[in-house]
Amino acid sequence: MLEFRHVNVSCGLVPILNDISAVFQTGEITTVIGPNGCGKTTLLQCLNGSSKISSGSIRLDGIDYLSMPLKERARRLSFLPQVRTIIPALPVRTLVEHGRFPHLGFSRRKTQKDIAIVEHAMDFTHVTPYAEQCADTLSGGIRQRAFFAMTLAQGCDYIVLDEPTTYLDLNGQREFMDMILQLKKQGSTIILVLHDLGQALRISDTLVIMQDRKIAATASPKECLRQHIIEDIFDVRIKEFSDDEGCYYFFC
Amino acid sequence: MRVSVFIPIMETTTMSKKVLFLILLLLLCFFAGILLGSVPLAPINVLRCLAGLDRDSTTYILVNTVRLPRAAGACLAGMGLAAAGVILQSVMNNSLASPNTIGVNSGAGFAVMLALMLGGNYATAVPAAAFMGALSTTLVIFLLAYMADSSRTTIILAGITVSSFLSAGINTIKLLDTDITINLTTFMIGSLSGITFDHLKYPAAAIVTALLLSFFLTEPLNILGLGDDIARSLGLNVTSVRLILLVLSSVLSGCVVSYAGLLSFVGLIVPHICRRLFGNDARYLLPCSALLGACFVLTCDILGRVVFAPFELPAGVLMSFVGGPFFLYLLFKKKGGRRVNA
Repeated sequence: MLEFRHVNVSCGLVPILNDISAVFQTGEITTVIGPNGCGKTTLLQCLNGSSKISSGSIRLDGIDYLSMPLKERARRLSFLPQVRTIIPALPVRTLVEHGRFPHLGFSRRKTQKDIAIVEHAMDFTHVTPYAEQCADTLSGGIRQRAFFAMTLAQGCDYIVLDEPTTYLDLNGQREFMDMILQLKKQGSTIILVLHDLGQALRISDTLVIMQDRKIAATASPKECLRQHIIEDIFDVRIKEFSDDEGCYYFFC
Repeated sequence: MRVSVFIPIMETTTMSKKVLFLILLLLLCFFAGILLGSVPLAPINVLRCLAGLDRDSTTYILVNTVRLPRAAGACLAGMGLAAAGVILQSVMNNSLASPNTIGVNSGAGFAVMLALMLGGNYATAVPAAAFMGALSTTLVIFLLAYMADSSRTTIILAGITVSSFLSAGINTIKLLDTDITINLTTFMIGSLSGITFDHLKYPAAAIVTALLLSFFLTEPLNILGLGDDIARSLGLNVTSVRLILLVLSSVLSGCVVSYAGLLSFVGLIVPHICRRLFGNDARYLLPCSALLGACFVLTCDILGRVVFAPFELPAGVLMSFVGGPFFLYLLFKKKGGRRVNA
């Protein structure tokens, strides 16, 4: 269980996050949604130190997360940020191997186990055929999967992804969501930021809805729909259709 | 411990062949650096001298007091500057960064002049001053870049500005204090003539130490190259690793400047050539750049001595002849072609 307790983040005197308390349950998919600029990315950035917390605490399975050494954090929780300012000109395999960095000792030697985990992560995300190609020569979709493989190679129980499907076409998004559901089945705890509300409603166990740097609501998708929370916050109307494959949501 | 650094290289046979080739090339260049010059020496005599024989011959004196320190100086200068270039490019995530383009060399040069003006000892005070000058300039440029949110052009522009400011300082000191026994022209362009083992001992020790340390940091260097956000997610302490690497690159370039002057372009073009030949993985890039950098400086120094013999062109002149056009090529190549780590 990952728990934010009264977390405040401010940049100088400007508050960015205001008294955030949220719980991300073990073995579930929890999605953070909210309008642009509400602080979703900042919330996740508290996890890798890109955003500095001014007060409050974060607990991971009951342990004070912020007092853990950085490498220890990276062995328990893997976080793939959204921003890609740099596309490294490295072969995909090397990129994915970097996911093992928090596990390597001083000599930085990779064991058979490390190599097997890297291979598995590449297979899982279907990037094995591109293993020897440079990441900067690949399309956005494959590149995203390669970064995802790197995150999986960290081998953490907690996987945090900031807008993982933004760079992907429809097919790519569906494949990505399938992978996330599969990871959940394997016991991972998944925390997402998504912009596609339909996707969020379909795959999440719990939705954390943010508005104006605060948490507006935390509830299951069904409950959110029943109480019209999303409709109020996003100022939309939701139409729900269902067939034997599941529910579909339209926003107008 | 040291062996483990080279294990990834040995994982791929093509890479190990390339490294072996570079090592052989370096040995060849080093030997040629001792043989060739205004007075060519016979290989067999040189070999005998290197083995410690013929201690009374003129060849022995020439080799031990002139050619050997000079070749060693050239070798270390190339290694140091090329490695510093690789480190700075990764740390600043900027393919145009190098000890020269961001003004680190000028910072070291200014400090050297300052130390000489104050009567510092050439063997100890000057290298120390050069390191301090290099480090403070690196930190200034880095802070500027950090505040300007790492815009790549801004860093280079800031570097050029700081560089010309410090060059003006160097010239001012030289004009004000005519007692300084340094040839300003060769110092500004970089030259390896007149190096003795006495000049070399402390800088050499520092360069070798910094090189070995940086070989241990190639994995963090790679992680840093993924961008700060991802590096943090992988558990890298971005701030402290970056600081350590900046200090190492300052040691490398500062010490080189202390005895060889402001050698330009090695730190820029050698890493770029190596990126093309060996890829961007710092585990290979750093050692390969160091090796090729040494070959490059040795070759330029030999050419400078041989081409217009008995006159001698400073190594820096030849390097600028080669480096200038290459830098332009890189600048224009950026628009169309695939970017290198930028």
